[in-house]
Amino acid sequence: MTDAHPTTIADTRSALLDRKVSAVDITRASLAAIDRLNPSLNAATQVFHDAALQRAAQLDARIADRRAAPLPLLGATIALKDNICLDSAYGDARTTCASRTLEHYRSPFTASAVQRLIDAGAIIVAKTNLDEFAMGSSTEHSIFGPTRNPFDRTRVCGGSSGGSACAVAAGMAAAALGSDTGGSIRQPAGWCNLFALKPTYGRVSRYGLVAYASSLDQIGPFARCVADTALLTSAICGHDPADSTSAGLPSPDLTSDLDRPIDKLVLGVPRQARSAANHPAVTAALDAAIKTFSHLGAVVIDIDLPHAEHGIAAYYIIATAEASSNLARFDGIRYGHRAELAPSDDLFDLYARSRAEGLGPEVQRRIMLGTHVLSSGYYDAYYNTALKARRLIKRDFDDAFAGTARAASRPSHACHAVLMPTSPGPAFALGERSSDPMSMYLEDIYTVGVNLAGLPAITIPAGFHRDGASNLPIGLQLIGPALAEGELTRIARMFELATSHSSIRPALA
Amino acid sequence: MHKVAQVELVVGLEVHVELATRSKMFSRAPNPAGRGVGVPAHDPAAPRKDRESCKDTSAGTAVPPNTLIDPTVLGLPGALPVMNRAAVEMSMMVGMALGCSIAPLSRWDRKSYFYPDLPKAYQISQYQLPLCFDGAVELGAGDGTLPARRIGIIRAHLEEDAGKLLHEAPGGGRIDHSIVDWNRAGTPLLEIVTQPDFRNADEVVEFAQMLRNICRFLGASEGVMQKGHMRFEPNINCVLTLDDGHTVRTPIVEVKNLNSFKSLRGAIEHERREQPGRWLEDGLTLGPGTKTTRGWDDAAGEGRTFPQRGKEDAHDYRYFPDPDLAPVVVDEAWRERIRAAIPELPAIRRQRYIGEYGLSGKEAAVLVENREVCLYYESTIEACIERGMDRSGAGRRAANMILQSGAKRANERAAGAEPVLVSDLGIRPEQIAGIIRLREDGAITSNTADELFGLLCSPHESEPADADPGEVAARRGLIVVRDDAAVSRWCEQAIAEQPQAAADVRAGKSQAIGRLVGAAMKASAGKGEAGAIRERLMVMLK
Repeated sequence: MTDAHPTTIADTRSALLDRKVSAVDITRASLAAIDRLNPSLNAATQVFHDAALQRAAQLDARIADRRAAPLPLLGATIALKDNICLDSAYGDARTTCASRTLEHYRSPFTASAVQRLIDAGAIIVAKTNLDEFAMGSSTEHSIFGPTRNPFDRTRVCGGSSGGSACAVAAGMAAAALGSDTGGSIRQPAGWCNLFALKPTYGRVSRYGLVAYASSLDQIGPFARCVADTALLTSAICGHDPADSTSAGLPSPDLTSDLDRPIDKLVLGVPRQARSAANHPAVTAALDAAIKTFSHLGAVVIDIDLPHAEHGIAAYYIIATAEASSNLARFDGIRYGHRAELAPSDDLFDLYARSRAEGLGPEVQRRIMLGTHVLSSGYYDAYYNTALKARRLIKRDFDDAFAGTARAASRPSHACHAVLMPTSPGPAFALGERSSDPMSMYLEDIYTVGVNLAGLPAITIPAGFHRDGASNLPIGLQLIGPALAEGELTRIARMFELATSHSSIRPALA
Repeated sequence: MHKVAQVELVVGLEVHVELATRSKMFSRAPNPAGRGVGVPAHDPAAPRKDRESCKDTSAGTAVPPNTLIDPTVLGLPGALPVMNRAAVEMSMMVGMALGCSIAPLSRWDRKSYFYPDLPKAYQISQYQLPLCFDGAVELGAGDGTLPARRIGIIRAHLEEDAGKLLHEAPGGGRIDHSIVDWNRAGTPLLEIVTQPDFRNADEVVEFAQMLRNICRFLGASEGVMQKGHMRFEPNINCVLTLDDGHTVRTPIVEVKNLNSFKSLRGAIEHERREQPGRWLEDGLTLGPGTKTTRGWDDAAGEGRTFPQRGKEDAHDYRYFPDPDLAPVVVDEAWRERIRAAIPELPAIRRQRYIGEYGLSGKEAAVLVENREVCLYYESTIEACIERGMDRSGAGRRAANMILQSGAKRANERAAGAEPVLVSDLGIRPEQIAGIIRLREDGAITSNTADELFGLLCSPHESEPADADPGEVAARRGLIVVRDDAAVSRWCEQAIAEQPQAAADVRAGKSQAIGRLVGAAMKASAGKGEAGAIRERLMVMLK
């Protein structure tokens, strides 16, 4: 058996509580899978052999003490994207963001979302690779080198949370956390045949997530089934006084109602989802999904998101503006990489050289873009215009959910969710887009709107594209109104039960 | 070349007030400008009462460097700001006291620049929508030494302070690099910007002192200048009237980081003296790009300003709304709750003291300068009223006691070091009222009143802290003796000691009686009352 986690998180928990297996056994299997597969896949940037086993032993002791309340994520092995802070007291953890500037950075605290997982009984087994500071769509811009797609190692696994997606798809961990600023969870999940949920903005605390674009960033889970996705989402959501943008709402329970289908389900498929740039396999997967949902009794209607075409431009202005400010702190003064200076060098040299050496080319590109769009004289033309586009993009979604589409010639149904691809094509080959940032940015065409509108969305495995010897996963996403994580997981569950795509695992030697 | 016939000064002021909240602007780390911060809790020698902490040495030296910090203060990756509501409420109070409107919606902006004392490489500030705006205060309303004058307030907004760059090792050792103390980083700062309504340095200093008193009364700041609780940045220029009647405006000079009233006055007066000559030399007048920034050097004689690099002009701060923080929404209920919590402000109290108690403007000004002293004074008045005195008389006599016996003791104790407040001398308002009552009853002399005041101050070596002034006076034999026989005995002794003076009085030279009164008082060992002795002597020498 190659898979360390043949069961769901819920099954693992039951097995542990029934004493059929120990948390140490579960953790060993996870660590063994990492040791075996990581050299070729490069998903993990750091593995916590000792700390994870120690933690597992504590949990076993807790299980032995039958008075202790059973924890919801008991024994769930978790990989963390390496832009999420983990206290360095845990296995001398680094929080590197795959950047030279933070290569040796030890965080003195653990992110709130991670703490919630730990408190719920999870075991952190590894930190995972990403595009530096979550800037990218392929997990190629990393000081640790690219992460490879477990379904085809000549291809990327998407990004920027590629390491987390790869780790879960390859069975190195039961589940993982990533962060989604413009699609960084949903796109790699689609290319690695996983479920992944980007929660409503404000649902999950950003405290401890190293900021890329603060008004867009959100932490979310990767899992191999909807039930695990719902469990993890329930665990990480909830108010956090340490994050001022955290919604003042209690944690939802997405699990108890999960198997109840949505009555009279209405799904909207935007005209824009059928872009000429789509790979035929993506369009085929979309059509197949529409057919599946129709068989399930859903009404699938055509909708219009007239401002979606401005998404990429608005996203790359807002995200880079915020990034230029968020990443200014990596100045070589308090922590992080500091350039060697000659006696004649001054403060400017310290800043310029430390940043030039510490930050990679894609990060520098985005910092320059963001600095430009915020500079005096350009602010209105770029930043303010992008904010206007952002409001219109959000209004398009609101209209779809309310059935009040302005462009429609007849009154429309109110949609429970919008169904569309996560990316225009399947995973591309390593290095294929590296020299053309614009084509890389266009990979995000279907995902950025969700972040701009602050909405929740879930990726569902929806088929494969056979390319020679490779079987490349295709993902679709369901986008819901704010706080509709419950409905989204229920719709995803309906699809999961009606199809078999998600049960297909990569063939790993 | 024209001559300058007349110089009119024009000054606008920016003031940074470090707010005395317990924690910092956006984190839970303790605020060095907060009351009581920097006094180690376990130190038995540490002052116990909040107000005494202002006698402590500067927070910068009392608190070890880089101890009032946390991930947010240091701008660590992943750390986030959370707004301190108390800082917003304090700012609303100060804004209201300055007659400002409170914005129903204000916002946090990021001001970006690189400097080693700025942890995130941006400062969180309020740029577009300040919390308080559009206010005004009246100067010269109290003591009549200045004509009443209205000073407009453009805005008062909140921001966070930066850390401190140090160029020598703690303790003063030489180092070849700079080091940073982050204790001050993140301290809440209220920046108040006035209209250019000041016409002389007196007005500016009066405003600055008024602002300090307001902040103290509101508990918004301890207003200890030595600790940098207030920093001033005047914008100064002059309108020159030439001998041909034309007028010329000189370029604006902004003097940075003045942290005493003396340097504030000095910098303005220096600029008033220098700017006409500068214009004659370079011919530069007010216009875009002519503003310069100067520093203050008080080492040289009466002090001078000196040019600093015009870094302001080179910067593009790239302000944009901070996505980590929600806007501040102040609804009517919140605003009115804060308004209702504002105590009677010093300027109003000063007017009341002048009107109700007949104090001079100067006396009243001293009493309202410090919130603790002012409340102490008012407690003393209430204690006098409890002891059967009328309010007006109590106000007058309590002021005398505090401004004379009290100020004398406070000055002695301060001895040139940090100022000591009358309210911190260790004598309670009820005890002062007891002394005043004894004096009103004629039971003690004015000298005895002062002596009793001294005996009841800390460290309470001679008398316990809760001693009753009447008992102390009685036990120490300080009560005036009205016994006729005793008074007669002292007077006879005086006449015997001073026969010449007695003869002079008998001969009609009544001023000679002073020597006899003195001698009799001496004979009474302080128990006699001068008026009674004088009367008796007059009778005896008729």
